[in-house]
Amino acid sequence: PPPLFYLLLVPVTLPTMTDLSALLTDLTGRVDSGDVEGGKATLANLKIALLDADPTSDTTAQIATSALELGVLLSAADGDLDAFARNVSQLKPHYASASATAAASSRKNHIIGLNLMHLLVDNRLSEFHSELELLSTAEASSPEISFPIHLERQLMVGSYDEVLAAGSRVPHASYGLFMDHLLTTVRDNIADCLEVAYKTMTMDDAVRMMKFGSVAELQSYMEECRDDWIVEDGNRLCFAPPPTGRKADDIPSKKLISNTLTYAAELERIV
Amino acid sequence: HNRLPTNFCRSATMAAKKDETSKEEAAASDTSTPKSTEESKSVVTVPPLIAAGKRLERLLGGKKTAATSSGGAAAGATAQPHGLPGTGSAATLTSTVEAVLHSNPPKIVRRWLGTSSGAARDATLDDVVGAAGALLDPAGVAARGRDVLLALAPDAGISSDGAAAAAASGAMEVDGEEKKDGEEGGGEGPTRPVYLVAAAREVEAYLLSLAIRLLLAADDAHAVQKAWAVSGAALDILRGHMDAAARATARAGAAGALGGDSASAGGAGGGLGSKGLEPLLARLYRYRCLVAEKCVVDTEALRSELVAAHRLACLRRDVDTQSTVLNLLLRELLAADQVEQADKLLSNSTFPDSASNNQLCRYLYYSGRIQALRLEYTSAFSNLSQCLRKSPTNTGLGFRIATQRLLVVVQLLMGEIPERTVFLTEGMRTELNPYMKITQAVRRGDLAVFHDTVSAFADRFKEDGTYTLISRLAHSVVKAGLRRLNTSYSRISLPDVANRLGLPSVESAEFVVTKAVRDGVIDATIDRAGQYVQSHDLVDVYATTEPAEAFHRRIAYCLTMHNDAVRGMRYPPDAYKKQLEASRGIVPKDDEDKTDEELAQELEDEMDEEY
Repeated sequence: PPPLFYLLLVPVTLPTMTDLSALLTDLTGRVDSGDVEGGKATLANLKIALLDADPTSDTTAQIATSALELGVLLSAADGDLDAFARNVSQLKPHYASASATAAASSRKNHIIGLNLMHLLVDNRLSEFHSELELLSTAEASSPEISFPIHLERQLMVGSYDEVLAAGSRVPHASYGLFMDHLLTTVRDNIADCLEVAYKTMTMDDAVRMMKFGSVAELQSYMEECRDDWIVEDGNRLCFAPPPTGRKADDIPSKKLISNTLTYAAELERIV
Repeated sequence: HNRLPTNFCRSATMAAKKDETSKEEAAASDTSTPKSTEESKSVVTVPPLIAAGKRLERLLGGKKTAATSSGGAAAGATAQPHGLPGTGSAATLTSTVEAVLHSNPPKIVRRWLGTSSGAARDATLDDVVGAAGALLDPAGVAARGRDVLLALAPDAGISSDGAAAAAASGAMEVDGEEKKDGEEGGGEGPTRPVYLVAAAREVEAYLLSLAIRLLLAADDAHAVQKAWAVSGAALDILRGHMDAAARATARAGAAGALGGDSASAGGAGGGLGSKGLEPLLARLYRYRCLVAEKCVVDTEALRSELVAAHRLACLRRDVDTQSTVLNLLLRELLAADQVEQADKLLSNSTFPDSASNNQLCRYLYYSGRIQALRLEYTSAFSNLSQCLRKSPTNTGLGFRIATQRLLVVVQLLMGEIPERTVFLTEGMRTELNPYMKITQAVRRGDLAVFHDTVSAFADRFKEDGTYTLISRLAHSVVKAGLRRLNTSYSRISLPDVANRLGLPSVESAEFVVTKAVRDGVIDATIDRAGQYVQSHDLVDVYATTEPAEAFHRRIAYCLTMHNDAVRGMRYPPDAYKKQLEASRGIVPKDDEDKTDEELAQELEDEMDEEY
């Protein structure tokens, strides 16, 4: 007898263009209104529908691009960095192939800017710069993209105050997720710098430099991460003194010995 | 006596001294030279391209066509005056020498390409089409290429009948000399043109590549489109040849072995291996990419084509094509700004060690550029300086300028200031002028001045492709400025620091200094109350291990150089024998001559070095 499961194969109707567009408008509506959960569900449906659609037509490509962009915005609003990275990597081939033909989508700069922020926060600087290479001059001067570029430059130079002040100048609310992460990284950096550069400091000054709200915040931060900072007189911070004195371990003896032996061997070879 | 005379007439008589067959050769050339000079006065002499083709035929033909070589030598001799200097040495090769050289077809073809570059430089499309008509057998292996080339005849301004006629007349007097010897692979009666046998496919590929180059040089859109079509056809043809040869060798087993035996050349050249075609395949790929850059082309298709070619070349151990195609891929990816992809290609592929020096230079340049873009400055620096050292000094000035530019920028990014003499090299002064200004701005350590200079030369940098790298230099400017301040002031107030460095505010100056201290750029402490920076790097650097490290680097470099030099030394053969015999008291006899094989080996080694 023929296997029964053949009878269960229901012919699948390919989703039409109208189905896909309907799903897309639904998704757009949800993202605009800020409905994260519903948006995610619609996005999943749309992705499944796209799998069956005709991959070569232009409209499919456009719908896919828009869907993925909205997915990126959703994950940024949701704070889900993994989903964010996934959607961006799915989106990249679309941008690469569509560069010559289709019109650039209006959200492209926004998405690229968000991606740059993500790389910056993760400290993946080589990828950050490689991404910069791919941008044209017009794209690089748009506000969404010039924001991360300036941020990176300021971070490299070390003007942390400008970085922290930039939190108020974000071009779009979705950057907020990354700015928070950035703030914590910057604070750690400043703390490191303070340790090395100052001998002592008043608590108020420290609060101001690290852009905390109050002394209490500073103290909780210190308890968490910086227990080698000593508080004297209730007001002065004293950073742990660097280790002094020279020990025999300071001399890299093994390295010197190996170097000298190689010199001797090589010189011996010179006839 | 002079073994390698440049005068071709003497060469014919010289060859006669050597052995039997050459006596015939001398007789043949003696009688034919007056005849050909008579003819040359009345008829058009053999065009250089045709002569070059015949020369390759001779070089690849080996023993069997030694008789042809006498005719060919004469033909080559008559063509000497047409601007092929220094090929007299080729005419003096005896048949045994040819047999030795024949064992390495790629080398022969590469050398021949080098010597024919004179002919190629002056050739026009007419010459190419004429040569195709004359040298390629319409019924033979090279038929497709011949058709493609003859189809270009309308562009060349002569009809295809005219081409055949010119070819026939051109081949006439050559044929007349060859009447002496009946042993000829493809030529028959006196009225038919003499076609190439052994070198057919190589000459076909060569003529195709010349045609592409000439079409490219014409520099109008229509010609470029044609060049694209021709290059596609040429690659198809060549790949077909190589596949056929591979299949033939697989079938024939050891008998029709690669790089083979001229005895099996009876199969109309199909028995010969495909090795000789490799340099030409590499050349054709290079031209294809050149054409692609000029006209709008589907990059995806081109990239997959190149990748497939690379794979085939690796499988066939084809060093030329492998290195060329890898460089072409890197260039294409860099032109499309796909730095990440280029980096992955770099890490996943190996560059063959035995590739030619020019390809190695290109590879080093591209790797250096990719590494610089990915912030790996130390490796970029070593690659680029090696590239500069290995690049040819008498040609390729543009390449050296590009490398030097990139090297300067990478040095600045590493925090070192390049020397002034670098910018004043001959021929590079105007090109490197903006870079000198940038270097001066970095040295001064003033951010405001730096930004001004960058915006002044922005267009120039964008053209050179170094704009993104230079915009990263802001950090270096600050570093350099801080170091200068630190060494000159023991104590300096923070507002002054902000002023000197061109920083926007005192607070940012404070942050900048703290970051610099943490990075180890300067050794200082800040006094917040007094708002000043106190520097205390009075550490004697000789008390640390710094000098030992610096010395170690230099010593290691010198020792590697020494070892490489010792490994690369070449002695003239038997140089020690003379000394040995003199010490033993044996007086060398004058007519004790080396055998021909040894002579051939010596010649090959000498030519090896020149190449």
